[in-house]
Amino acid sequence: MNDELAPQMDCYEEVLKEIELSRRFGSDYSLERGEVARYINALHPPRMTLRVREIIQETSSTATFRLIPADGQLPPFLAGQYVTLFLTIGKIRTARPYSISSPPNQTAWYDVTIRRVEEGLVSNHLLDTIQIGDLIETSGPVGTFYYNPIIHRPVVAFIAGGSGITPFMSMIREIYDRGLDRRVFLFYGNRDSTDIIFGEEIERIAAVSANIHYVPVIENPDEQYDGRRGFITGSVVKEEMKTLHDATFFICGPQGMYDFCLPELEAMGIPRRSVRREMSGPPLQVWEQPGWPEEVKKDAVFSLSVGGVKTATIRAPATESILTTLEKNGIPVPSLCRSGECSLCRLKLLSGTVFQPRGTPIRKSDRQFGYIHSCAAYPLEDCAVLI
Amino acid sequence: MTDFDVIVIGAGNGGLTAAATLARRGINVLVLERHNIPGGCGTSFCRGRFEFEVALHQLSGMGSPEYPGPLRGLLTRLGVMDKLDFVPMTDLFRVTVADAIDITLRPDWEETVAVLSNRFPREKEAVQRFFDFLKAYFIEVISAVYMRDPERSREKYPLFFTHALRSTREVLDEYFEDPLLKFVITPYWAYMGLPPRHLSFNDFAALLFSYIEFKPYYLKGGSQAMSNAIADAIITAGSSVRYNCGAKKIVVKNGAVRGVITDEGDEIRADYVISNASKIATYMELLDPEEVPESVIPELRQASVSQSAFCVYMGLDCTPGEAGIPEATHFLSQSTDVDVGYEKMKVVDIDDRDFLMMTCYDLIVPDFSPPGTCQVTLVTLKYGESWLKVPPARYAEMKFKMGDAMISLAEKVYPGLRTHVEEMEIATPITHLRYLGHPRGAIYGFNHFRKDSTMFVPPRSHLKGLHGAGAWMGYPGFQPTLESGAAAARAVIKEMKGGRNAP
Repeated sequence: MNDELAPQMDCYEEVLKEIELSRRFGSDYSLERGEVARYINALHPPRMTLRVREIIQETSSTATFRLIPADGQLPPFLAGQYVTLFLTIGKIRTARPYSISSPPNQTAWYDVTIRRVEEGLVSNHLLDTIQIGDLIETSGPVGTFYYNPIIHRPVVAFIAGGSGITPFMSMIREIYDRGLDRRVFLFYGNRDSTDIIFGEEIERIAAVSANIHYVPVIENPDEQYDGRRGFITGSVVKEEMKTLHDATFFICGPQGMYDFCLPELEAMGIPRRSVRREMSGPPLQVWEQPGWPEEVKKDAVFSLSVGGVKTATIRAPATESILTTLEKNGIPVPSLCRSGECSLCRLKLLSGTVFQPRGTPIRKSDRQFGYIHSCAAYPLEDCAVLI
Repeated sequence: MTDFDVIVIGAGNGGLTAAATLARRGINVLVLERHNIPGGCGTSFCRGRFEFEVALHQLSGMGSPEYPGPLRGLLTRLGVMDKLDFVPMTDLFRVTVADAIDITLRPDWEETVAVLSNRFPREKEAVQRFFDFLKAYFIEVISAVYMRDPERSREKYPLFFTHALRSTREVLDEYFEDPLLKFVITPYWAYMGLPPRHLSFNDFAALLFSYIEFKPYYLKGGSQAMSNAIADAIITAGSSVRYNCGAKKIVVKNGAVRGVITDEGDEIRADYVISNASKIATYMELLDPEEVPESVIPELRQASVSQSAFCVYMGLDCTPGEAGIPEATHFLSQSTDVDVGYEKMKVVDIDDRDFLMMTCYDLIVPDFSPPGTCQVTLVTLKYGESWLKVPPARYAEMKFKMGDAMISLAEKVYPGLRTHVEEMEIATPITHLRYLGHPRGAIYGFNHFRKDSTMFVPPRSHLKGLHGAGAWMGYPGFQPTLESGAAAARAVIKEMKGGRNAP
């Protein structure tokens, strides 16, 4: 109507009538205030506050924290997904992802199962200080390590190492509880027979389920043990499963297990599309990763200058991710997966070079414009980043 | 004292070009972006060894360096052309309708006429007449609208004044008999969201003319490369982009914009705001109810929210050739009844009556995916309302069920497609709602009925210092939204010069 052309056009009067009617009987968007946020929070809340309802000692090293919503309802999730816990430990604000070990059909709580690790800042804090009744801030459930019924096969092999059992526990419990039509081979590797997380429950389920086949593999078993020993090799998998084609393989465990098991699967001719791997967190000894430059010693410390919202110049050890260094210096950066994948901790590297472990998925144009995933970037010289 | 001259809310296409245009003029801009990455729809995500394009399929308005289109001009002014590598596409699209037709049109006037005449010999003459008419029509549009001929009149531009507001179907019915022929000429209606029955002839003509005349383009690195390049231009010009930081409120004092409160509760002062959020969120969420200007109410009331989309992104462990995919862009349907197809957009279900688009990016940019692999995206438009009624507990099940149905439809043309899938992600209207923050997950802004065109609802400021950019302010798609940001920047500069929002 503000345009002088329209009134000379064919159909102009008709359009005017449409406008007049729709302005009288059209939508009142003021009635929808807050709706977008409500839908997002029902399915994908960016943040939730959960209360520790129970702490279940699983083994000498491991406990399950049963988390219930402080208010409202928990969003649904897919077995295999994780939540990130946001914590303040001393003066450090940090975050860690933990797979949900309870099944999705259990809608009242999420279980996260945490094993003590040497120098594990967050796991030890949780195990030593968190008590029943405490509130914990978390992300909503996220992650891509789940069964996709469109492309994954009804026969699945779960290859778990140590605490890598947690996403599989959610999947197995769901398959068992809901009687899903899926055939499971669980290969569960542990160092010894005394500290097997969920060992008894898995045995119990396998004993009464024709479709769940449990294969424990112990590296250094005690004398009474009569099961499989050593590592989860290709031949172990083949002997148990008989036929390997038309199965989907899921693998979750420490870095060493991926290094060992993935080539074993490949050698047996299992195509890449049939193998799903969970993220493995940051490498424990980054200086031993392929591609780490020899001239940078593991005790090297560089200077990291930070610009943007906050400005600072801080000391940055070569073997610590830039994300961790920033957090330790009171500069929090949003993060979720802390394995280089989700890109939430993306920052612009203004100068300097960083080591990014092979296979860290970074967008092509992020590489072009100098963006890094700070959880998977280690300084190799003095660096500057923009926050 | 203000902290910034202008705050731009949202780093979508419109927000980015708005900020870059201002920053390159020496204006101090702050872009607030809720996500960790710029682009809005113009973005990508990584799964396994694939980087998936989210939204760009065929970029319009680029043209070649020798025969530049308007978008090439804009990107050149923003200083990003030397960082980007645009690739012309060799096909407009392949169209298949069950077993009835399989035809590919190319961005060449003569070839398009020849291919259609050959396939529809009985309507050969009509095909020639129609394309002559389309060209003549749009040449009038260029003169009358884009060049702003001061002597424009009905007498001088008879085709434009007669046909602009007519329905596309009505015009096509005057030329053609065969429903198949009408169908294969019109699949681009999906880029506007309204079938020929509802789409104004002007909007349809603009789509078909510009894609044939300037060719569809894509770029290396996908739409994320363009978003990153423009964001980089903002920083290089000395302005700021703050990620992981959304806007909660626009601060208004005495009827004029005075700043923004961020999600974290910080107040940042500026006398101008360009909102790249949806028009609904801008006025209904970001402004306090008592600050909502009277003049915007009827504009909002007359408009209805457009479709969202249901997308399946697939990384295949084979080449396009091995998957039997010959063309980058493919519109697939089982029938020529687009009105039924349009009605199907109002329900969750996907079946034989849905109208699909498939894009294989590796046929445009050969090294788009790792060697020996390729990336395929299936899209169908869906209004978000029905998805919002899916109970959260059943959401994942529905998502997989519809994804499965969509792949089954594609497998009618590409048998065994799913056996090659290495990585897959599904986006529903809820996914779009989550990432865009748009009501009902809309991807095209408001529905683009002729009453909603910029001819009747021109983008304008309803509140001193407040401007808008993006599909909600005009037309959907990459070229229009990128252009809308530049237009918003010009409007701010004009207002600044007039001293209209000086405190």
